[in-house]
Amino acid sequence: MAERVLLNQIWFTALQAVPLVIILAGLLSFLVISQAVRELGRLGATELIGTLIVVAVVRELGPLLTALAVAGRSGTAIAAELATNKVMGEVDALEGMGIDPMHYLVLPRLGAAIVSVSCLIVLFDAIAVVVGFTAAATNGMSPDRYFDIVLRSLAFGDVAQSIVKGLVFGAIIGALPSFHGLRVRRDATEVPIAASRAVVGSIVAIFLSSALFVALL
Amino acid sequence: MSSPLLFEAVTLSNRRGTVCDFAVPANDVVTVSGPEDSGVGSLGRLALGLDRPLRGRVLVLGEDIARLPRAAALAFRRRVGYLPAGDGLLQNLSLQDNVALPLRFGTGLAEHEIQGRVRIILTMMHLTEVGPARPAQVNDEQRRRAALARAVAFDPELVIMEQPFDGLTDRTAAELLEVATGGVAAGGSRRTVFITGQDMPHLLRQRVDMRYRVVGAQLVREG
Repeated sequence: MAERVLLNQIWFTALQAVPLVIILAGLLSFLVISQAVRELGRLGATELIGTLIVVAVVRELGPLLTALAVAGRSGTAIAAELATNKVMGEVDALEGMGIDPMHYLVLPRLGAAIVSVSCLIVLFDAIAVVVGFTAAATNGMSPDRYFDIVLRSLAFGDVAQSIVKGLVFGAIIGALPSFHGLRVRRDATEVPIAASRAVVGSIVAIFLSSALFVALL
Repeated sequence: MSSPLLFEAVTLSNRRGTVCDFAVPANDVVTVSGPEDSGVGSLGRLALGLDRPLRGRVLVLGEDIARLPRAAALAFRRRVGYLPAGDGLLQNLSLQDNVALPLRFGTGLAEHEIQGRVRIILTMMHLTEVGPARPAQVNDEQRRRAALARAVAFDPELVIMEQPFDGLTDRTAAELLEVATGGVAAGGSRRTVFITGQDMPHLLRQRVDMRYRVVGAQLVREG
């Protein structure tokens, strides 16, 4: 039963967010690489495009933007759903039946958020690199040269770091909204407040942990 | 035989501090009614250890659930059928999945056995046609039927019901009480049933073995 909740959550958190992540990754990459090819080309430093796409997009902005998109989309949904469960007496009913709400409601959402954010970050990075090629080509750079520069700059560690960030950000997006959702009492007016606190708290926690990554790694 | 449910000098959280000191004998149907502010509505939660009494203790099947560690309390509650006030059905599950929920978590039954049992219970509760519907898609009576079906799905020896008959006709209430008791055996009802609420339908009073009511600060036995 909890497995079915987990699959539903992955469907909602990961698969339904794919179009949004593709749009964000595509636009960001197109803007950054277009500007970079133009400006760095003027300075004769097009080699730095690889570093730019790895450091700025793959390592930092990819995980950050993906996590913010999921926090806005799914974090609010998790908090509102669990708060409604609480207000409607469903959480008490679960406890009364001997079913741990942590096991049935929270863990599937936490697991789904961790898996989803990690996978979406990999997707974001892949789309960013591919769209970056289009942007570079539009601005006069040959495809071979673009891929040569990017692949020389991209190391396995960069992708691994992105995925580790995905695990941490996913845990934040699963845990904080669940906490705020289950914290409400039996008053429907608390549902939007819980959703708002959840998303604000998640955004702050994501930025803080992102800064911590930069400081530690 | 010891009482499946025993309230020992339990003080209700109302302004008058009503003290409840009574036992629910095995295979009996016992009701406690009283005004909304009497604290009667908390008796079911106290019995299941969801709340702790201000004073006194509640023994369920010989155990004070409120004092058990959390994991043990959760496991113990799976032995008791519970119909909370307002039904407590999970809104994102169909009625049949709601009924299957305690079977999936509280028993070691295989999925096909669970499905079989759910089908039987839904038929018994006249819910077969609306089984795949979600709670919001059916009426109050069907929701209450589904909530009771969920409470008795694993055939518990004790069933605790909060305001189970509010808004129902006497006839439907009598039918639901019959399901809750599991029918009549030689020594009384097959199950022990404890009901709390503001009032009991007149038609049911003769089917209840003991009736208590909170009057002022006192818990009075009515019949």
